[in-house]
Amino acid sequence: MSELGRVLLVEDDPRDVELSLTALEEYHLANEVVVARDGEKALDYLYCRGEFSTRSNGNPAVMLLDLKLPKVDGLEVLQQIRSDERLKLIPVVVLTSSHEEKDLIRSYKLGVNAYVVKPVNFHEFVNAIKELGVFWAVINQPPPGSMKKAP
Amino acid sequence: MTHLAEGPTRVALRRSLARWNLELETGRPPIRYGFSVVCVAVALGAALACRRYGFRPEELPLFDLAIVVATWYAGVGPSVLAVVLSAACFDYFFTEPLYSFEVSTEDLPRFFVFIAFAAITAWFMGALRATSTVSLPARSDLNLPEQARAAWYSRLLPLVPLATALCAGAIFVADTVTTTDIAFSTLYAVVVLMAARFCSAEGIIRVAVGCVALTGLSYYMSPPGGLEFAGIVNTGIGLAAIGLVTLLAVQQKTAEASLQERVSEIRKLNQELSKRARELEMSNNELESFAYSVSHDLRAPLRHVDGYSELLQKHASSSLDEKSRRYIQTILESSRRMGKLIDDLLGFSRIGRAETKKTLVSLDQLVKEAVAEIGQDTSERDIVWKIDPLPVCYGDRSMLRLVIVNLLSNAVKFTRMRAQAEIEIGCVDGEHEVEVFVKDNGAGFDMQYANKLFGVFQRLHLPEQFEGTGIGLATVRRIIHRHGGEVRAEGRVDQGATFYFSLPKAQDAAERTANRP
Repeated sequence: MSELGRVLLVEDDPRDVELSLTALEEYHLANEVVVARDGEKALDYLYCRGEFSTRSNGNPAVMLLDLKLPKVDGLEVLQQIRSDERLKLIPVVVLTSSHEEKDLIRSYKLGVNAYVVKPVNFHEFVNAIKELGVFWAVINQPPPGSMKKAP
Repeated sequence: MTHLAEGPTRVALRRSLARWNLELETGRPPIRYGFSVVCVAVALGAALACRRYGFRPEELPLFDLAIVVATWYAGVGPSVLAVVLSAACFDYFFTEPLYSFEVSTEDLPRFFVFIAFAAITAWFMGALRATSTVSLPARSDLNLPEQARAAWYSRLLPLVPLATALCAGAIFVADTVTTTDIAFSTLYAVVVLMAARFCSAEGIIRVAVGCVALTGLSYYMSPPGGLEFAGIVNTGIGLAAIGLVTLLAVQQKTAEASLQERVSEIRKLNQELSKRARELEMSNNELESFAYSVSHDLRAPLRHVDGYSELLQKHASSSLDEKSRRYIQTILESSRRMGKLIDDLLGFSRIGRAETKKTLVSLDQLVKEAVAEIGQDTSERDIVWKIDPLPVCYGDRSMLRLVIVNLLSNAVKFTRMRAQAEIEIGCVDGEHEVEVFVKDNGAGFDMQYANKLFGVFQRLHLPEQFEGTGIGLATVRRIIHRHGGEVRAEGRVDQGATFYFSLPKAQDAAERTANRP
């Protein structure tokens, strides 16, 4: 574990946020998580505007994206990212409750890197989040321009 | 529907008639125009022969007849050609000076009367043809009660001018009447026919009565031979022509009114149908979005119940007594069971909505795969598999696979208490369908609950005895129904059960699917 990437968690449900952070905490990944509670906030973060206008530059190492979000939904965020030269390389993992085939197809068509259905079972949920966190923030080599921080 | 009311010969005759009419009308232009030329040529030949053999030269009815036939059988273009050719022939052969296209001043009115008659006849026959081509097939589809009669009268239609012309010809030969008499009779007939197009049935009758009165009056008034034999004959012909045409027109009108009624009825039903289709589509969309929100929104709180109970268990486990720990454990189990139920229900609804991608599927292969898959989890059990050869079916492979897997895992599950489980898979080959069965020597069931077996979440055993949500057989039934088959089950408590599903044979199924609107 040489360095950690920053994780952008886009999730509207505070309980899901808490459970996700609890899961990431076990691997001490929680500190590097930025939470955006809707699609607009997520885009604000990526474009360094609004409340994120003063953040340090660089893209997150991975973005965990819920599909059903207020204002701008997950697929719209994904589309926006993939059509922007500066953002299109960001690894995006869809993290959703939806099993629906049409969501899967649309997500992959828009170029998502992984699609994970949130398990109902807490153990499985924790495991899924942990593995995602470890893989994307630690094991995976993110594209150039991502924020890294020495542990 | 029509076919039930008629003998096969009549149907065949009518079809061949219709085909002949249609083929000529929709035939290639050379054939249609050629037909028109032949008609005029025959008329010209007959007219020339009449003159040659000393009959009084009267060409108008002959050429009129040619135009009638050409228009009725070959359509608008050939009709115009027939008029032009007839006029040319008349001009060349029958107006002074003979054998030239010039017309002397004395013969000019006769020439114009000829052209006017030819044009009126062509226009009228064309209009009549158009209405009958449209209304006759429509009527025979609708199976109207008036249809048979109307069709019969309509077939007589071309005979009316023919009969008039023939009788007129005969009288000309007898040299007793003039062109004017014939012109009047024909004109009345035409007036009545025009009335048929634009008036109601009563209107037509009124016009016809008027015409009859006029004809009678004109013959009565015409001195000096008002009531001579020839005059009476001619009046009779005129009356008969008008009568027949009137009858026809009234028939046509009644049938048309009834057709109109049916058409508006159909239109109404059609609107109703498309409204229903729209509603169905809307409710389908609603169902889809309902399933979507179930999958998305219902699972989230469930995950929280599970997650926070788990966290509570972890944090407070040491400070809780045995009873409280059991409560938390129950909350956890229930939330997981609910998660499973939601997943099963969603899967079930997905099967109802998913498109079936049908191909030829080897049931042998599917059973082999399913047994191999199930065998991995049951390696410690003693199961005797007896698998008969199975046919190839036409269906959605992944769905049929689910059917087989569900039935086989049921058989494995319900034979758990047997030292040696026996599971047999075979089929009964029928004429149009094949019935596959899965037989086991397991727990069986009471036949009086057989109808409940295939219901969603219906279970005949306690959860402690056999696990499961009760979606498997419901899924089997839904898939088999979507393939046009049936399911049934036989069993006795503690003596095993047999589950049957039928599938249409490959060829039948292909046809059935093709015929499905």
